[in-house]
Amino acid sequence: MANLLIDERDMKFVLYEQLNIEELCESQHYAEFSREMFDMVLDAATKLAEKELAPTNADGDQKGVVLENGEVKVPESFHRAYQLYCEGGWAALPVSEEHGGQGFPLSIYGATTELFVAANQALLMYPGLTVGAARLIEKYGTEAQQRTYMDNMYAGVWAGTMCLTEPQAGSDVGALRTKAVKNSDGTYSITGNKIFISAGDHDLTENIIHMVLARVEGAPPGTKGISIFIVPKKRIEGEELVDNDVTTMAIEKKLGIHASATCALNFGEKDNCIGYLLGEENQGMRIMFNMMNEARLAVGYQGLGQASAAYMYALRYAKDRFQGPEISTMKDPVAPKVPIIQHPDVRRMLMWMKSVTEGIRGLLYFASYCGDRIHAAKTDEEAAKYQGFLDILIPVCKSYSSDMGFRVTELAVQIHGGYGYCREYPVEQFLRDCKIASIYEGTNGIQALDLVGRKLGVGQGLLFKSIAAETGNLLKNAKKNFRLKDIVEPFDEARAQLIEVTRYFGLKSITEDFMTPILYATPYQDLFGDVAVGFMLLWQAVIADRRLEELYGDAKADTPEKKAELLRTNRSAAFYRGKVASAEFFANTVLSLAKGKARAIMSGERSAIDLPEESFALF
Amino acid sequence: MKSLVCLKQVPDTETQIKVKPDGTGIVTDGIKYVINPYDEFSVEEALRLKEKFKAGEVVILTVGPDRCTEAIRTALAMGADRGIHVNDESLNDADPYSIAQVLAAAASQEGYDLIFCGHRAIDDDFGEVGAMLAELLQLPQVTLVTKLEIADDTQSAVVERDVEGGKEVIEVPLPCVLTSQKGLNEPRYASLPGIMKAKKKKIDKKTAADLGITSERKLAPTEYTMPPERKAGKKYEDMEPAEAAKIVVEALRSEAKVI
Repeated sequence: MANLLIDERDMKFVLYEQLNIEELCESQHYAEFSREMFDMVLDAATKLAEKELAPTNADGDQKGVVLENGEVKVPESFHRAYQLYCEGGWAALPVSEEHGGQGFPLSIYGATTELFVAANQALLMYPGLTVGAARLIEKYGTEAQQRTYMDNMYAGVWAGTMCLTEPQAGSDVGALRTKAVKNSDGTYSITGNKIFISAGDHDLTENIIHMVLARVEGAPPGTKGISIFIVPKKRIEGEELVDNDVTTMAIEKKLGIHASATCALNFGEKDNCIGYLLGEENQGMRIMFNMMNEARLAVGYQGLGQASAAYMYALRYAKDRFQGPEISTMKDPVAPKVPIIQHPDVRRMLMWMKSVTEGIRGLLYFASYCGDRIHAAKTDEEAAKYQGFLDILIPVCKSYSSDMGFRVTELAVQIHGGYGYCREYPVEQFLRDCKIASIYEGTNGIQALDLVGRKLGVGQGLLFKSIAAETGNLLKNAKKNFRLKDIVEPFDEARAQLIEVTRYFGLKSITEDFMTPILYATPYQDLFGDVAVGFMLLWQAVIADRRLEELYGDAKADTPEKKAELLRTNRSAAFYRGKVASAEFFANTVLSLAKGKARAIMSGERSAIDLPEESFALF
Repeated sequence: MKSLVCLKQVPDTETQIKVKPDGTGIVTDGIKYVINPYDEFSVEEALRLKEKFKAGEVVILTVGPDRCTEAIRTALAMGADRGIHVNDESLNDADPYSIAQVLAAAASQEGYDLIFCGHRAIDDDFGEVGAMLAELLQLPQVTLVTKLEIADDTQSAVVERDVEGGKEVIEVPLPCVLTSQKGLNEPRYASLPGIMKAKKKKIDKKTAADLGITSERKLAPTEYTMPPERKAGKKYEDMEPAEAAKIVVEALRSEAKVI
């Protein structure tokens, strides 16, 4: 096992064999790239992740961030890792050359993100937020704003944040109270309090550029009256950086990502905080929404990264840890002890972790790849098709990866037993770090509302129909392969169940019973995720099965014994066999539950709504 | 300062090596290849010299099959200027002497102030190529280098090398062959802008015939086998520590014959 962060073979399988991203290089947009360059980037990222980022992960967790004299300090070990990350140009990997990046495909960015997050999620928060903020300036900033802020941010010299949340305005952004008053020189004076600001303050960079949502005096209430401002920690006056009256009141003590500074920030305590409008007044939400897809996908990658590392560690532990005899010799007290991977229950957990992690990897890389296909599209129609896939898949990518990623980390702890619950092993940190992914960047409940309330309705179900048609094609393709015939049925059935529930929601939404789709949005999103991830695994299995047969053929392995021998000696054959098994396992143990899940949703059971609050518990 | 860096691509240290069932070699399918770590020190040192003297060139010299291009490109992404890739079927499992011959021929065509080799490659662990190359070219050589200072007139160098229990400091005239040891430096990581630039850098492809040599191998492998699996240990339980110590010492002497 070369590294414990990610199964590199699977990463390359998804990129090159499933998505065939080399084909992107034929488009004008990606003409200067090649497989060789992609490989070099992936190898360089793996090396940096393994050798520099991962070794600081436990240290970051134990030391955490500290707030001293109003300044936040990150763990000492983070400075070097951050420096190397920036010097390598990793933050700007997918940013166009004209804006100071390298213009690599988003699918490659996705793979490197998975690697880096698997190595150190807390550290990646800092460049992650910075790029998000810089993206907004790239899209809406003036030339001067781009030169002043964006260039420094993509280079990692300055950092950035997104300041949305306030004590009374969390999921309900429209309730925010931070105020902006226009000055005679066109700048704005900002006053207000923000909380839960990730990377809100730190000592990795000399300056931090906050993107602050605020209401201009006299603007309409709710989300319509929100504007967005560039508010630097230190503003430029003449040639100098001067304090811009942004103060860190507190940092949160959290379950996980201890080394990511989650700050409460005060803007304009001394009435000396200047903000610079980005775009136009009252356009803040629209501008911010532009970032949503990318940011939500990035959080999905956090779930994937933690799942990936957790699986690799659990697998290694299960192979190394001897405990108990093999089950058939259980009663023999002197029977030899076996590694726990030989116990069926441990194997089942590993198999679930493997199939789910690989399926999520397929789904997220596919979402990133949709972004590439939009860039590379020859026609508007083609671009619209991939934009549609992306739009409907984003809430699923974010929620399913974070929920299932968490469950993978949980099983990694389980497989480690008592040791897994202890700090000595890294898996409990994976579990704690992963949990935030289902909460921030729009809770998974908000994602479900986005999916059911917004995305399903687009163009009268157009997005859903398009993705249903795509999975239909995959299914047709898979059905041609007689060796897969036993596993195709659960895919067919689960897809049919999802379509039926979607129709049911459609009907409910035009009746008075619109509450049912809202109440069951999360279980629906979960079912949607099962089907989406399932189809990624089926897609992969079709390819893997073909390759495996070729290898059997080449080796003249025509008996079960010879095949077994080839699987022992040939790494590729073993890998492809594992891919087919992932699809089989997922089909039979996860997708086979689709019918029950669909029935639960369509029961329309209303206790949760109808029960008087007094009856939940007496206190 | 023109440096030739001899670079070998080797299986990643953490790759699990399997021997082919017929014992003719190792299974190469699915192996991850990397630059030999000692050669990485060489690349880094050569780059630092070029940066220090603000002049010269770093040329990567590799013998091996197609897959080695990636290793050369990675060195180019670190900052090397160009590559020479000797790719010839007849050299695919060449012995150290043949490799030294090829490197000597290529180096003679190319010209150099310094030639770097790793002190050994982590795959076959021969550690012979650097020394043979120096002999073939009739150059002075310093092996196991951990520190290098080139004189300002670039006519000589002061070199530190590992010796048992200490360091040896040697002054050597240039040109010479140096073999790199861990501790020489900390190799830089390939950056993305470096990778973008690397694709435009030149790699000259050569065959043995282009270099005017036919390989004269001195060694040929007869069989590859895995080391025997470690036998299970013996446990001495349920006895007084003093008694156990006596029995263990006796066993080490008469059974294991290690003391």
